[in-house]
Amino acid sequence: MNETVSPLLKVVVGIILLIVVAPLVVPLLMSISDTPFIVFPPQGFTLKWYGAVLANPEARASFLFSLELAAIVTGVSLLLGVPCAAGLTRFKLPGQDAILGLILSPLIVPLIVTGVALLQLFAMLGSRATLLQLVIGHTVVCLPYVIRSVSASLLLVNRNLEDAASVLGAPPHIVATRVIWPQVRPGILAGGIFSFIVSFDDYPISMWLADGNHFPVPLYLYTVIERSFDPSIAAIASLMIFFALLLVLVIEKVFGLSLARLAS
Amino acid sequence: MSRADIIDVTASSSQGLRAEREIPEGWISRLAGKAWSLLSGRYTGYLLVAPTVLFLAAWFLWPVLTMVYLSLTAHSVDGVMVEGFTLENYIRLFSSDLYFRILMRTIRIALMTSLFAALFAYPLAITIARGGPTLARLVTITILAPLLVNVVVRSYGWQTILNKTGALAWVLKLLGVSNPPVLLYTEWAVLIACVHVYLPFVVMPLAGAIGRIDRTVEEAARVAGATRFSVFLRVIFPLSLPGLAVGVSLVFSLSAAAYVTPQILGGNFSPLLGTLIEQQILTLNDWPFGAAISTLLIAMVLASNLIFLKLVSRRFARWTAGAR
Repeated sequence: MNETVSPLLKVVVGIILLIVVAPLVVPLLMSISDTPFIVFPPQGFTLKWYGAVLANPEARASFLFSLELAAIVTGVSLLLGVPCAAGLTRFKLPGQDAILGLILSPLIVPLIVTGVALLQLFAMLGSRATLLQLVIGHTVVCLPYVIRSVSASLLLVNRNLEDAASVLGAPPHIVATRVIWPQVRPGILAGGIFSFIVSFDDYPISMWLADGNHFPVPLYLYTVIERSFDPSIAAIASLMIFFALLLVLVIEKVFGLSLARLAS
Repeated sequence: MSRADIIDVTASSSQGLRAEREIPEGWISRLAGKAWSLLSGRYTGYLLVAPTVLFLAAWFLWPVLTMVYLSLTAHSVDGVMVEGFTLENYIRLFSSDLYFRILMRTIRIALMTSLFAALFAYPLAITIARGGPTLARLVTITILAPLLVNVVVRSYGWQTILNKTGALAWVLKLLGVSNPPVLLYTEWAVLIACVHVYLPFVVMPLAGAIGRIDRTVEEAARVAGATRFSVFLRVIFPLSLPGLAVGVSLVFSLSAAAYVTPQILGGNFSPLLGTLIEQQILTLNDWPFGAAISTLLIAMVLASNLIFLKLVSRRFARWTAGAR
């Protein structure tokens, strides 16, 4: 029974979806154009722009740095966030609302403002440890995602299973690893993936805290877009889009539509 | 949980335990057990939450509050801070024609982005909530996929479309438009890209809200002779308002604070508040003024949250009072 969606609506939705994917598809087309500048429709076929990008040491350095940063941030966010989610869901804490408010407020305050506030604080403290500053800045915004998704999975844990296991004589560590862990693992995994993506994609915080030796991919891309016009930018953009598609497939495979629930 | 369920559960978990005896315990499970047994103390809850709370207090609350404080101070021409509080920075922000125009442009673009995003979101959200599972899945994935693509890449994608030699100009030429308008580096480009970037933030809560509407209400309206359009206008739209409010307040906040998209697509001709903050601080080194603009941005975001959510929830309560 599909009549609740009229044919006219389907056409409208089709057009909107085309517009939604257009800015992701057009760079792909441009990236194989055998012209020294961007022109639509693309002319000829070449993969030399991809070669140029992959051979570029600056691009590689940025990519590796972003991976390193995102990995550290994900680790720190999980280390802080998982116990915090456990504390929030398993204990009745007076002032819980205030704590929750504090945890979620980095999602409300504009990122560009959080970034500038941190820069000003680090300047005041006389700090020059760029990597540490970037890790701190990114962790502030990744924590809410981790805590939200881990809390959601902890709330779904069936307490009866734990009670049953302990009644039958399972010591606490068996309950933890055999009963609780399998139930919260998807939430922790989702939180980890989200914080990796948020850190890897961050622009508005990095723009204040990064320096020439610690230069994440989004900042690098931006400088390339500002200074050059050949299709190699389209090639970098396409590589980023492939990377994202890969992530979509992995997430779809692992979580199914729970991605939709987490994003809303 | 019924009695049969409990028996079932105990049976399966005792099986799990029997299997456990055969497996030698590793140090990981011992460690986890230690950690878990700690969870029974009186202050354990606070101990678990404390690291995160302290982290955010030190690296979020403190810097943001310091910045608000900084916006109330002044500095002399050579950059030395002057003692005492002043509203000078805020007065400058509202009295200078240039800054006031940027403020108005930011509010205008944020409002128009919210409006257009809401318009495009309805067909998508209705399809997700009411279409078949395959269709809903397809639309959801297509809508969410751009979220995983970096915002710089997405803005660049629009640049390649809106360029003078871009895809849009080519399509328009095919359609016989002789002198296609160049949208790149105008407010329209910023608006189009913002709607694209922030669309999923309206679609998802809206789809949730529409999914919660009882289908029988729609069917009753149809049976009573309402057209599809009036079902939308008088049933779906009013009942989806809470979801719309959540989405629209998100889109307003995000686009008011957008930096990358206006920089790449608006060029130097239409800066928003985000660009102004960056200029004041990194180029002109005027920290108090930059702090004042940042504080204003926070205030705008909080205000939009309050206005959209509170206003709509009150309206919603009145509109649906009879239905409950």
